[in-house]
Amino acid sequence: MTFTPSENYVLVLTATAGAVTILLRSVPFLLFGHARRPPPAFIPYLGRVLAPASIAMLVVYCFATYFAERPPLAYPYAAPELLAGTLAVLLQFWRRNPLLSIIASTALYMLLLHVF
Amino acid sequence: MPTPEKPSIARAAFVASLPVLMGYLSMGFAAGVLLAVKTDLPATPFWATLTSGVCISGALQFLFVDWIQKLVPLATVALLTLALNLRYAMYGLALLGPLRRAPFWAKAYLVWGLTDETYALETAAPYPPGPAHLRYCLLLTLFDHLYWIGGVTLGALAGAALPFDTRGIDFAMTALFLVILTDQLRSDPFARIPAVIALVVSGLAALGLGASRMLVPTIAVLIPLFLLLRPLLAPAARPQAPGKSTPEVRP
Repeated sequence: MTFTPSENYVLVLTATAGAVTILLRSVPFLLFGHARRPPPAFIPYLGRVLAPASIAMLVVYCFATYFAERPPLAYPYAAPELLAGTLAVLLQFWRRNPLLSIIASTALYMLLLHVF
Repeated sequence: MPTPEKPSIARAAFVASLPVLMGYLSMGFAAGVLLAVKTDLPATPFWATLTSGVCISGALQFLFVDWIQKLVPLATVALLTLALNLRYAMYGLALLGPLRRAPFWAKAYLVWGLTDETYALETAAPYPPGPAHLRYCLLLTLFDHLYWIGGVTLGALAGAALPFDTRGIDFAMTALFLVILTDQLRSDPFARIPAVIALVVSGLAALGLGASRMLVPTIAVLIPLFLLLRPLLAPAARPQAPGKSTPEVRP
């Protein structure tokens, strides 16, 4: 049984992400499971700031990927990305339903790609 | 107090998990469709089951699709998984006390399978710490885990059969991140500060290095930067009850 290159990649990808996940999540138990000393204060602090920071970075990454394919300073001036992104944020503010926001904005984006 | 019977614990855990069933099935479905239409993997449903079973994370599942297309370096995979998982290590700290007497395998599974939704349900468990509570938490984790695998696998099956033009369907990942960021900023006013700092740093990295090479340098700058800014930011970053801030269903 042989795997294609992308199948081999998925195997190591899954192993890497899975190993990092379980190792990182078990650190509190390994370090503080027996002793009653609390963890150093910078760890909860980093967890707190990196949660929004990493998602904000991924938003920039997604838009940067689109802009690398279709430069935002030429027609259609990033209109599909900006309109669909605005719809996702506004819908989420209004209805607080992640699935609705994602499906509606993705449908709008797919439509706009045909329009522009 | 009499020990609750096992079937009644299972029923309570299942009923509590029903909102997560709807959320994970549909969100996982979207990620599975994307995996099927965007990658050249043969036997996509198999890979969908494997990836979603090992990594129970909405953000990672969508990123996997992007990474499989681009074959990104494993260092990027490891660093991003680390940044996205730090929060769950924090939840683990909160679970240390209640789980002190649990067997090793139970601790390992609860920590590995932890999501925002499972954590929120565990904090609202109707049993005092003890064997019934442990059984309830294990079943919650198992049910949510199965819903997520089911959603992603069904999506991969459906995606392979999609009859229409799927160009642009990858916006689902962008929308997911926008939705998570919107919720974070709304539920936690402090989150604006690290979010704006990250937007500036990653914007500069995208301009200077390009989209394909921006992630690792951005994290490598952000972590020391946040540690330097800690004397300024830490007083504003009061500890928050984890899980309570994200009532919306999302892995």
